[in-house]
Amino acid sequence: MNLNYQFMIEDIPVVLSALPVTLALTFVSLFFALVVAVLFGACILKRIPLLRQLVVALNTFIKGVPLIVQLLFCYYALPYVLQMFDGFFGYEYNPRNPSYFGFAVVALAMNYGAYLTDVVVSSYRAVDRGQLEAAYSIGMSGLQAHVRIVIPQAVAISFPNLANYFMWLLKATSLASVVNVFELLATARASTAVNYAILEGYLVAAGIYWVVCILAERGLNLLSRRMNRYQKEPRAV
Amino acid sequence: MWRGHELFITSLPSLVEYIPVTLFYFLVPTAISMVLGTVICLVRVGKRNLLYWLVSLFVSFFRGTPGLVQIYLVFFGLPEIFAIFGMNINRWDAGIFYVIATCCNFSSFVSEALRGAYGAIDKDQIEAGYSIGYNRWQCFWYVTAPLTLQVALPNLKNLEIDLLKGTAVAYVIGVVDVMGRADKIIALHRGYGQIWILLAAAVIYFLINVVIELVFNLLTEYFSRYERGLT
Repeated sequence: MNLNYQFMIEDIPVVLSALPVTLALTFVSLFFALVVAVLFGACILKRIPLLRQLVVALNTFIKGVPLIVQLLFCYYALPYVLQMFDGFFGYEYNPRNPSYFGFAVVALAMNYGAYLTDVVVSSYRAVDRGQLEAAYSIGMSGLQAHVRIVIPQAVAISFPNLANYFMWLLKATSLASVVNVFELLATARASTAVNYAILEGYLVAAGIYWVVCILAERGLNLLSRRMNRYQKEPRAV
Repeated sequence: MWRGHELFITSLPSLVEYIPVTLFYFLVPTAISMVLGTVICLVRVGKRNLLYWLVSLFVSFFRGTPGLVQIYLVFFGLPEIFAIFGMNINRWDAGIFYVIATCCNFSSFVSEALRGAYGAIDKDQIEAGYSIGYNRWQCFWYVTAPLTLQVALPNLKNLEIDLLKGTAVAYVIGVVDVMGRADKIIALHRGYGQIWILLAAAVIYFLINVVIELVFNLLTEYFSRYERGLT
C-alpha cells in the first residue's frame, strides 16, 4: 500500500485546527442536552399530568430514530422555524448565512437530551430518601435541600453514565459533517481536495479521534474517582 | 405550511419497499458480530499473549473512533489493500464495505458487553459444570454462554438498536436502504418537502425499533425462565 506519508504528517496540524470545533460542538450540545434532560426529568419526577406523558412519548420517539435523520431534519426544518421568527424582537432572518453549527447543536441536544433524561431520573431516584428528609429535619427549605444535599449526590451517582454518553456524543459529532458543519471529519475531507489523498485524510482524522477518545476516557475516569471520594467503599466504575 | 404532508403519504410506500434492505444490513452484521464478538471476548478474558494485545488494539480502535470514519476508512482503504494482491474490488457494492466496517465496529462493542457480563456471572456455576463431568465445550455451551447472555441482554438490546439506527449512516457511501431511498426522493424533489420525507423515514425506523425492543423483551423472558421462582 503506497500511502502519501509526507502528506499525512503535513495534514495533522490542518485537521487538528478543527478539533476545537468538534469539542465545541460536543460541549455545547452536552450543555443543552443537560438542560433539556433536567427539564424533562423534572416533568417526570414531579409527575406533572399531561406534560409527563408527552415527555415520555417524545423521548421514546427520539430514541427510536437515527441521529442522522434527526440532523438532516433539523438541517432542513429549522430555517423555516427561523423564518417564522423574522421580525420578532428585532430578530432578522438571514437566509444567506444559516448557522449549520446551531442546527447540529439542536439535533444533538434533543437526541442526547432524551437519553440523559433517563440518567437524570434514575440518579435522582437513586439518592437515599432519608437524605432529603434529614435535610428537611434540620430546617432546610426545599431548594436548599436539593441544591446542597440531593443534587450533589445525584451528580456523583450519574457521573459514570454521563461520561459514557459524553464519549458517544464526541463520536456522534462526526455525523455533523454530513450537514455542512466544518468539524474534524469535514475538515479532514476538505484538506484532501488538493491531491485527492482521501484515505490519508481519513486516517489522520481517525488517529486524532482515537487519541482524543483515549485521553477523554482517562480524564473522565480520574474525575469519576474524585467525584466518589466521599463514598466509603470504592465504587465500581 | 405548504401541502408537504402529501409527500409523507406518497413517499411512505416507496420507503417501505426498502425495509428488507435495511433489515439485511442489520441482520448480517448482527449474525457475524455475535460470533466474532464472542471470539474476541474469549481472547480478551484469556492469557495476556500477543494475540490479546492485538485484539485489544483492534477493540480500542473501533470503539475509539466514530462509525462514520470507519465506514470511510474501509470504503477507501480496502481497495488499496486488495490492490497489493492485484485484485480490483472497486466495483463491489457499497453495502459490502458497509457490512465489513460495521462488523468490525459492532463486534468490538459486543465483545465488551459480553466481557462485562462474563465478569459479573457466578464462576462457581462453571466449576459446578465441570464437577458433574462436562467437558470444556459442554461447560461453555450449557453453563457459561447462557449465563453470560442473560446478563448481557439489556446491553445487547441497546447495542442492537444503535446498530439499526447506524444503518441509516450507510447512505453516505451510496448504500440504498430506507435512508438512502429517502435521500434519493429528496434529491428528486429539488429542495421541496424534505422534512416530510425524513419524517416518513423516521417513522419507519421507529417502528422497526419497536419490533426489536419486543423481540429482546421476549428473549429476556426466555433466558430468565429458571429464575421466576426465586425473584
